[in-house]
Amino acid sequence: MSHANETDEVGHAKSTDRGHDQEPSPIEPAVAPSSAVLGVHEMTRTFGEVLAVDTLSLGIEAGELRAVIGPNGAGKTTLFNCIMGALNPTEGSVYLNGSEITGDAEEQRPHKGMARSFQSNQLFADQTVLENIRLVVQTARQGAFSMDLFRSHYSVGRERAIEIADDVGLTADLDAEAKNLPHGEQRRLGIAMALATDPDVLLLDEPTSGMSPAATAETASLIKEVRDDRGLTVVLIEHDMDVVLSISDRITVLNRGEVIATDSPDAIQGNQAVQDAYLGGMREEI
Amino acid sequence: MSGESTDRATGGLPSMFERYKIPLGLVVLVVALRPLITSEMVLGYNAIASKMLIMMLFVAGFNLLFGYTGLLSFGHAMFLGFGIYIPAILVLNGAWVLPAGGNITFLVGVILALAAVAVYGYLLGTLIVGMGEIYFALLTLAFSQAIYFIVLRNPGELTGGSNGLTQGTLPDFVEQTRGEIAIEAFGLSLDWYWAVAVVFLLGMLALWQIVRSPFGRSLVAVSENEQLARAMGVDTTSYKIWSVTFSGVFSALAGVLLMIQNSGAAIENLSVFTSGDTVLMAVLGGVNYFFGPVVGAFSWLFVEDFLTNFELWQFPLSEVTFVTVDLSDILVYWQFLLGALFVVVVLTAPEEGIWGYIRSVASWLRKRMQQVRA
Repeated sequence: MSHANETDEVGHAKSTDRGHDQEPSPIEPAVAPSSAVLGVHEMTRTFGEVLAVDTLSLGIEAGELRAVIGPNGAGKTTLFNCIMGALNPTEGSVYLNGSEITGDAEEQRPHKGMARSFQSNQLFADQTVLENIRLVVQTARQGAFSMDLFRSHYSVGRERAIEIADDVGLTADLDAEAKNLPHGEQRRLGIAMALATDPDVLLLDEPTSGMSPAATAETASLIKEVRDDRGLTVVLIEHDMDVVLSISDRITVLNRGEVIATDSPDAIQGNQAVQDAYLGGMREEI
Repeated sequence: MSGESTDRATGGLPSMFERYKIPLGLVVLVVALRPLITSEMVLGYNAIASKMLIMMLFVAGFNLLFGYTGLLSFGHAMFLGFGIYIPAILVLNGAWVLPAGGNITFLVGVILALAAVAVYGYLLGTLIVGMGEIYFALLTLAFSQAIYFIVLRNPGELTGGSNGLTQGTLPDFVEQTRGEIAIEAFGLSLDWYWAVAVVFLLGMLALWQIVRSPFGRSLVAVSENEQLARAMGVDTTSYKIWSVTFSGVFSALAGVLLMIQNSGAAIENLSVFTSGDTVLMAVLGGVNYFFGPVVGAFSWLFVEDFLTNFELWQFPLSEVTFVTVDLSDILVYWQFLLGALFVVVVLTAPEEGIWGYIRSVASWLRKRMQQVRA
C-alpha cells in the first residue's frame, strides 16, 4: 500500500516540483571522506548534458548501515556505479579505508574489500546456484586472474559456497539453475554472491525490489544480520521506507544528484527539506 | 538410477561417472569411429575417419573461444594455417642447422608453429578483445584474410602461393604406400588413424581439463555475464586474451595433423570459407557442450561425403536389392540440405545444436522409462 503511494508521490515531485526554494545547503559529511571506511569526495558525473551526480561527498563509518534514498533519477545507482568503478566519475574521488581508489579497475575493487549487488538481477543464469556463488568464492581466493589449469573446479571454494548459501537461506536451491529461481531468491542470490567476495563494505542496490512484504521483511532482517555477524559496513539503496527506517543507522537523501540531508532515521522524517523534495505527503503515513 | 537425483544430497559432488564421462566418451569415439564409418556400408575408405578426428579437434579448439568464452572468431582458419604451413615450410626447406626433410626438423617446426600461434594469439587478443563482440569477429576475419593474402603472394617462394605445398613437406617417419599413411618410429609401424587418435585424445583431454579447471569456469563466467563477472572481481580482459591463445594453439595442433593427412599445405585451408565452416560446424553440433563441436564436425563431414558419394539408394544393401532409387539429382544439393538443417537448428535452439537435441531426447526417454517402471 505505502509502496504505491510513495511511487506516485515521487513521480509527482519529480515532474512538477523543484521543491524547496532555499539554497541547497552543503551538507558536511559527518566523517571526512579520507578517514571514513568508504569516502566520496566532491564527485560529479555527467551524461552529456545531464548532471547525474553533482559534487557529492559522503563519508561512511566502519560498521555503519547507511541507506541512500531519493526519488527516481536522483543519482543513486550512478553513485554506486562510480563508487564500484563500473563508471568513471567525471570529477572527484573515491576512498576506501583512507586510500584513494578512483582510478582502480572495476575488477580490482572486490579484491580490496568492496562488493555490490545489482538493481536488476545479474546472475550467471545458466549455472546452478552453487556454481554462481562458487565462482565468486574462487575469484576472491585466486585474484582477478589466475592460470589455475591443473585441477578440477570442484576443489575450489565449494564448501565455502555452500556455507554462504546456507547463510542467506538458499540451501534447498543449490542445484537449481539460477534462471529458474523465483525473483525473490534471485535477489538473495545476488546478495550471496556479493558476500562471497568477503567484503568489508557491501553496496546493495534495492535488494528488496519486487519482493512480497513477507520476503521484504525477511531480506531486511537478513541484511541487518549479516552486518551484525560479519561487522560489515553496508550502503543500501532502497525504496521501501519501512525497510529504510527500521534497519539503517543513518539515511542520506539524494535529490538531483546532490545530498540534501544525512541524518538518523528519526531526524530525516522531521527534516523539512526532505519532506519537500521526496517524502511529500507521506508524513502522516510514516 | 531412478533415485539418482533424490538420493544425492543438494550440493553434493556429482558421481564419478558424471565427472569422467567426457574422457570416457572420447575413448569410445576414437575406438568406434573408424570401424563404423569406414565400413563398406557407409563411406568405405580410411582417410575420412582421421580427417574427422582432425576437424573435431580443430572445431573443439575454436569452441573454447566461442562456446566457452563467448567470443566469435570469424578467422579461425589462420590458426589452422600456422599449424599447416610452418612445419611444412621448415621440412621442405630446412633452416640453418636443420636439414630439409628430417624428423627433428619437423618436430622443431611443430613446436615453433605452436609457440608462434601462442605468441600471435596473445598479441592479437591483447589488441582486439576489448573492442566488443562484433568488432572481435570482424577483426579476426580481417587478420585471417591478411594472412591468407600474404600466403597467396608466395613470399620468397616459401608458401607455394595458390598451388600450396605438395612435395617434400613430410618428415621421414611418415610412410606413404598407395595413399595409406603410416608412422614408422622406433622400429614400429603405426597406422595413421591411430597416430591421429593419440594426438586427438591428448588434445581433447587437455581441452577438457582447461574447461573443467577453475580457469575454465572463469571463462564461462565471462561468457555468461561479463558485467557481473567484472563486478565480482574477474579480470575479464585477461581471461579473454588467454582464451584466444589456447584456442589458437589447439587449432594449430589440428593444422599440423591436417598437413600430414593431406601430404602438404593447401591454401583453401586458410580461406574465409574454412573459417565460416568452422563456425557452422560448431553451431550445428551445439556450442554449449563439449561434444557439440565433435558432433558438428562429424555431421558436416559425414553429410558432405556420404551424400556426394551415395547416388544410388539401395535397400537392402546386398546382392538382392528390392528398391533402388537414383538420388544423384537431389544430392548435388547436399550443401542446401546441410544449410536447411543449420537453419532449423539455429531457429529452434541456437546454442543447443544436434548434440543438445540428442541429449534432450535421451533425458526424455530416461524419464519415460522411469515412469513406465514406476
